[in-house]
Amino acid sequence: MGSSKIFNGYTSSTEFYDEMYNGKKIRAPYQKLYEFLKNYPAEELNKKEEMARRLFMSQGVTFTVYSGDEGIEKIFPFDVVPRIITAAEWNYIESGIKQRLKALNLFLNDIYSNQFIIKDKIIPIDMIYSCEHYLREMHNLKVPHDIFVHISGIDIIRDADGTFYVLEDNLRTPSGVSYMLENREITKRIFPDLLPQNSVRPVTNYPQLLYKSLAALSPRHNSNPNIVMLTPGIYNSAYFEHSTLARLMGIELVEGRDLVVDNHRVFMKTTEGLQRVDVIYRRVDDEYLDPLVFNSGSMLGVAGLMSAYRRGHVAIVNAPGNGVADDKAIYIYVPDMIKYYLNEEPILKNVPTFKMDDISERKHVFENIENMVIKKTNASGGYGMIIGNAATEIEIEEYKKQVLQDPRSFIAQPIISLSAAPCYINGKLQPRRIDLRPFAIFGPSGIEIVPGGLTRVALKEGSLVVNSSQGGGSKDTWVLNS
Amino acid sequence: MLSRVANSLYWMSRYMERCDGILRLLRVNYAYSQDEFDQFSWRPVLMIFSDMLPLTIEKTKYKGRKVLEFMVTNKLNKNSVFSLVNKSRENARSVQDNVTKELWQCLNDYYHVTRDKDLVTALKLDDPVSVLDDLVKQGMYYYGVCEITMARGEGYYFMNIGKYLERAMQSVDILNVKFSELDYSLEERSDPTYWKYLLLSISGYEIFLKSYRSALDSRNILHQIVWNEHFPRSIIYSVKRLKQSFETLKTDRNSEAYKALSFMIGKLESHIRYSDLKDLEEKGLKEYLHEIKQELLAIGSAFNHYYFAFN
Repeated sequence: MGSSKIFNGYTSSTEFYDEMYNGKKIRAPYQKLYEFLKNYPAEELNKKEEMARRLFMSQGVTFTVYSGDEGIEKIFPFDVVPRIITAAEWNYIESGIKQRLKALNLFLNDIYSNQFIIKDKIIPIDMIYSCEHYLREMHNLKVPHDIFVHISGIDIIRDADGTFYVLEDNLRTPSGVSYMLENREITKRIFPDLLPQNSVRPVTNYPQLLYKSLAALSPRHNSNPNIVMLTPGIYNSAYFEHSTLARLMGIELVEGRDLVVDNHRVFMKTTEGLQRVDVIYRRVDDEYLDPLVFNSGSMLGVAGLMSAYRRGHVAIVNAPGNGVADDKAIYIYVPDMIKYYLNEEPILKNVPTFKMDDISERKHVFENIENMVIKKTNASGGYGMIIGNAATEIEIEEYKKQVLQDPRSFIAQPIISLSAAPCYINGKLQPRRIDLRPFAIFGPSGIEIVPGGLTRVALKEGSLVVNSSQGGGSKDTWVLNS
Repeated sequence: MLSRVANSLYWMSRYMERCDGILRLLRVNYAYSQDEFDQFSWRPVLMIFSDMLPLTIEKTKYKGRKVLEFMVTNKLNKNSVFSLVNKSRENARSVQDNVTKELWQCLNDYYHVTRDKDLVTALKLDDPVSVLDDLVKQGMYYYGVCEITMARGEGYYFMNIGKYLERAMQSVDILNVKFSELDYSLEERSDPTYWKYLLLSISGYEIFLKSYRSALDSRNILHQIVWNEHFPRSIIYSVKRLKQSFETLKTDRNSEAYKALSFMIGKLESHIRYSDLKDLEEKGLKEYLHEIKQELLAIGSAFNHYYFAFN
């Protein structure tokens, strides 16, 4: 790629799957984008980058980092070069996610009622009861339409040979969908006409799909149910997302203190007195939902909410207790769940995962630690994990001690060499590692996934950690129409 | 509308109105200070808009640049432009889904402008008037965006209620401080520039010349700021607009609250409308202004009690 300035020196490697370049030539889906960018002057691209930064800043697409009593606004770094997924790849991912969600939802229905999966010895009972997100309070609670996982963000990665894997299932309050929407809006501004030229499928109707599926859950059968979005408030790092979604759906954004429960019904306090609430899309964790049932010190929740829920007077999205299904140790059993509940072969593969409370598996992991990642089962955001080939000997020894103290809380996986996509860094395109989080909506009439999602990228050279808290950024994600 | 949301919109709007008032006052006073051959005192400005201790005011009152720094960029001063814009934006942020995207972006831009490091330097070393002008323009942009983009619903009217209540209070405070310097006497002959700059600082000089023609007499000044219905910063105008916005809130569901506030606002309007300079001289200007201020404060608390009490 010698003739082009910004592609000059673009080196791929056989250690990972390069989404754009197969070592000899540009892959077909990236061809048009390559032609477009090839002769793009670096100064122009710098301008576009600056424009994107300014747009994010002025729209307040920021998360706040607090130091002392002053908040500092930061933007989630955005890489201007889009990531491309072909129609065939998308069909495969979409059908895999749908299958997986069906099974996970059946699992949650089962585990909070008859527990056939334990009785049939597919999953050992202690795996369930040792999970801290398993909620006894959800037992025998009839959730509306038997749906637990209304909203999910399943993380997909690609190994060195291009195979897709599921890295983790986020079934509690996954975030990032607002970045999917904003990233697309920014691309429209910085690269006019490029989207239609590439026949990229739109993502803009996500809020409407979500609204429709929330409205369908209303316990009162009236034409205009009251749907609210429950946020922990402006100091939450995902507050931007909460307010964006509420605005795009035209629903009320409420905090715990705006709601009150009377006679097992939920109301919001308005300038015209109390108004009944039918559906709550909550972005508050289970633990803080109701101080009468869970954490009694919670100021974020609503006293009496669970009793209203139990009686079917209000729908809560997602259902409480989903954490038992996206626990990193339960993850190991998802392929078994698919076979058990659906009698199907899993479409999307799991990353091979070792249980650290199994003595022989643990021995295997410790012996091959340089090829392993060990993770805490309940941590997220790239915290609480150790990457064998990147840690010092002392760090590894320390970590092993932690593992031995409480092996149930850890799992290990071989280091997956995430696929890479070109990113514009310091005036040059360079490959950086990426993952993909598509956003699925599970409503009474089925599962829908908008074609796209959030592509997160590890902006540090050689890094495999894409989390925003660890120096990650994001890209617009294009699903092509053909 | 959620009570919390109504409360936030009301305060968002009050803070922006206060910010605008402060900026205009600072701009004109700075210009005034350049005309003064004697030492120019910033005492009235600090009295109206800061919670500085009287002793500190005495120490600071001749240091123009210091006052500007304190009133514009100081982070510890709760009434500095920096703090007010920050608070206004925080309020908007907590109700982002209830203001238009344009309005949010406008406040957000303003916020970033007040945090610009160059602003501090420019205010210290360059021409402060151009700095203040730029800030005033940000505020005008905010007013324009409100008018053009906000739906004429409850939210918009709560914003107006906050705006006009704040404006009426400011006008009372300005009169109070300016006349207190003259011991509240209407007879006192004072320097016409004193009144000219007062009018300029509330954008009332031109309308004054058109309405009164005569010399800058303290009675005319008082008339303009209290009773002139054509002057958008007069107390009567502000109360009238407050009343208009409030009347749109009438619904069947909240008649108790409506009745209580409607009574208070109506009473205040009559109190102002059906009094004149003669009444005022009998009662004493100080007492009159005090009464009006108390009624405005009571209306503010009543809104808190009837419409915003969500705890």
